[in-house]
Amino acid sequence: MSLLARNAEHFFWLGRYIERAASISRIIEIHSAHDRGQDDDQSWAWLVALYSDDELFKKSHTEYSLKNVARFYVTDPENPGSIVSALRAARENARALRAVIPTEMWNQLNEFYNGFLEIDETALDLIHLSKTCGTVKYGCYAQLGVIESTLYRDEGERFFRLGLMIERADQTSRLLDVKFAQIATRVAGNPQVADATFWALVLRSAAAYQVFRRLERKGAEPASVARFLLLNPSHPKSVACCAAEMQRVLHELRSGYGLRQTNFALEKLDVLVDGLEGASRDPALVARLHTVNDWLQLSLADLTTELAVRFFGAEPPEQQSQSQSQSVA
Amino acid sequence: MLLAKILNPKSETTMGTLTALKDPKKAGPFDGYAPQPFFCELLGTGEQPSKALVAIWQRLQTMDVADLLRRASDAENELFNLGITFTVYSEKDAIDRILPFDVIPRVMTAKEWKSVEAGVIQRVKALNLFLWDVYHDQHILKDGTVPRALVVGNANYRPEMIGYNPPCGTYIHINGTDLVRNGAGVFHVLEDNGRSPSGVSYVVENRHMMQRAFPDLMQGLRIKPVSNYGEMLLGKLIEVAPEGISSPTVVLLSPGVFNSAYFEHIFLAREMGVPLVEGRDLVVESDRLFMRTLAGLKPVHVVYRRINDDFIDPEAFDKSSMLGVAGLMRASSKGHVTLANAVGTGVADDKAVYAYVPRIIRYYLNEEPILPNVETHICGEPEGLAYTLANLDKLVVKPVGESGGYGIVVGPKASRAEIAACRKLVKANPANFISQPMIDLSVCPTLNETGVVPRHVDLRPYAVTGRETWVLPGGLTRVALKEGSIIVNSSQGGGTKDTWVLEEGHS
Repeated sequence: MSLLARNAEHFFWLGRYIERAASISRIIEIHSAHDRGQDDDQSWAWLVALYSDDELFKKSHTEYSLKNVARFYVTDPENPGSIVSALRAARENARALRAVIPTEMWNQLNEFYNGFLEIDETALDLIHLSKTCGTVKYGCYAQLGVIESTLYRDEGERFFRLGLMIERADQTSRLLDVKFAQIATRVAGNPQVADATFWALVLRSAAAYQVFRRLERKGAEPASVARFLLLNPSHPKSVACCAAEMQRVLHELRSGYGLRQTNFALEKLDVLVDGLEGASRDPALVARLHTVNDWLQLSLADLTTELAVRFFGAEPPEQQSQSQSQSVA
Repeated sequence: MLLAKILNPKSETTMGTLTALKDPKKAGPFDGYAPQPFFCELLGTGEQPSKALVAIWQRLQTMDVADLLRRASDAENELFNLGITFTVYSEKDAIDRILPFDVIPRVMTAKEWKSVEAGVIQRVKALNLFLWDVYHDQHILKDGTVPRALVVGNANYRPEMIGYNPPCGTYIHINGTDLVRNGAGVFHVLEDNGRSPSGVSYVVENRHMMQRAFPDLMQGLRIKPVSNYGEMLLGKLIEVAPEGISSPTVVLLSPGVFNSAYFEHIFLAREMGVPLVEGRDLVVESDRLFMRTLAGLKPVHVVYRRINDDFIDPEAFDKSSMLGVAGLMRASSKGHVTLANAVGTGVADDKAVYAYVPRIIRYYLNEEPILPNVETHICGEPEGLAYTLANLDKLVVKPVGESGGYGIVVGPKASRAEIAACRKLVKANPANFISQPMIDLSVCPTLNETGVVPRHVDLRPYAVTGRETWVLPGGLTRVALKEGSIIVNSSQGGGTKDTWVLEEGHS
């Protein structure tokens, strides 16, 4: 029997929110542990820029201090982009799927979420923040592990993977974008800041540091980092790797489950993959990086809309969506 | 103190057999347990206790209170993490709560259960025949056995159902009968639940919890299993599928995640292996029901619905309902889909119609009721009203339209002001009330911080009916955790227990 369309939608968003929580927590974990160079009260503005949250942030805060930014992204329920909001949304999507997912999936997510709700202010201070976010990251990884080990691999699992991959590609693209923007402003003031440490941090944020060292003998410089995170075919966080996985999953849905409607999403993915290939041959990639990332993020949002219209019963948008949908209707 | 003396201070007869139960040098959880004057579910009146039940008492008595409390708290944590919970939604958050769980089981012998089971089957059979009659020829109304006004004037009577022939003649597929036991240990029916009785998920989950947390207590006992509920239920629902459908699609229709019984909906769908759908997942086209899947619309033949009649079809009933499916009643009356339970069963489990059920059993089955009713005074009738008003301080007064224990006034425990307020309400709208004598509800040993204490319990066995009726052994034991309270509803401080029915052979 074919899967309920609404269940597929919940699977998709479960994937997105788990990956989102994992990504935010890993980025904060890495930066709070390594980025101790600057201690002025504006040093965490880049994280707010990463998620384009300036407007919302300024409603309740004036300073981009570690304390403010950490609270905003870890425990603030008013911020739909915070870890607590992402975990809560993941759990609500999982709740709607409880009749079709293994008990272990719900049990792990539930214990993890309930444990997370008990963290207090101290967990967000300079000493504990990295560890706190590390715990969240492992909680998300554990959920991915439970899913890999126990979830029946039908259409639902495929839609979960689509959500996971779209979110992962989006997070990588945003990370690159904001880091290059950060470097641009820093270089203007102080050309020495964009050193190897800076790029190592970017790579660590995407769990790519070690393998990058192994593969790129020359060391980290802007072009090689950008190429690696956008185009490497085998690193789980690279956009090209995520796109290839999405293609594989969509083909499985088409051939294994007779879902012809996947053709529309596959066509959009083809365009995205072509665009990536074009970027890989572009000698001026670093200069054009922001344009490439902008286009990537819009393409991923467009792909989400495509799936929602073809499979989740959403109305086709009247014009091209300009912003990424943040929640399940 | 010896067991026989605890239970029945005057009796010396069973002393010999029970002296071995207690080690005077070692304190045990039951040391302060004093159930009198009520019937104790574990040891009855103490006169001739079942050997198996005494053995369970003995096992519990050797346990340490602190250890029991620790294991009880672990068990509740586990229920919470497993999400065996109901959810309270506030504006900002979803708060999960568990139903309080008491670790001391309620135990029944095979013999006790046999008569309860037969009584429930008899009652469900009679109620289904009654429903067929009131929605067809109305013999029972025409000859005045049951007052016509009580049925056709009832808010839950659905004229839309007149002339509809449900498969197997079954209207109530899933039924919960609320039973209480009086001071002599005799089971009485307190209430029928033939609309959408809930709680069965706790029966199964409580058993699983006990198996994990108290294997030592269950060791060597043969207890009738309850895990096959989903399988049995699905079998019955397939039996009532529309004629000619060889491999029917069954779904469970839930109001959605915001419903407080959502866990139970998950549980039932999971145990039956059927899709858990919401109204928005279904659509009626050409009087047939379909669900929206990834591969398009797929036909649905049987709907176990956990949505009340009023909200099930905005086209037929409440127009503002967002939970139901427009056209579902059309699809059902055309015989293309079976609803379980059928629409309009509320007229059979009404608190006023309840008073007539013994007569309904005799009328259709020509048998005496196996399970008696609690004596009931119908305030809508002059004698009933006069008696009720004259004895408010001795009676339990219940509004007929409410459930969940709301609006009940327990005369012997009420203040003067409460009784005066109740008198006013009854006088203003007599037909809305019934009254019953206060029953000395039986008690079951229950754990609290001090040790084991007697607390009042009821029992809700679950019956599922297709062609025939099957009853899940045992049922849900609800316990009033507050000292002296007889209201077992979870909304009023009630909890649940695992209910064990021992296999034949345990004496």
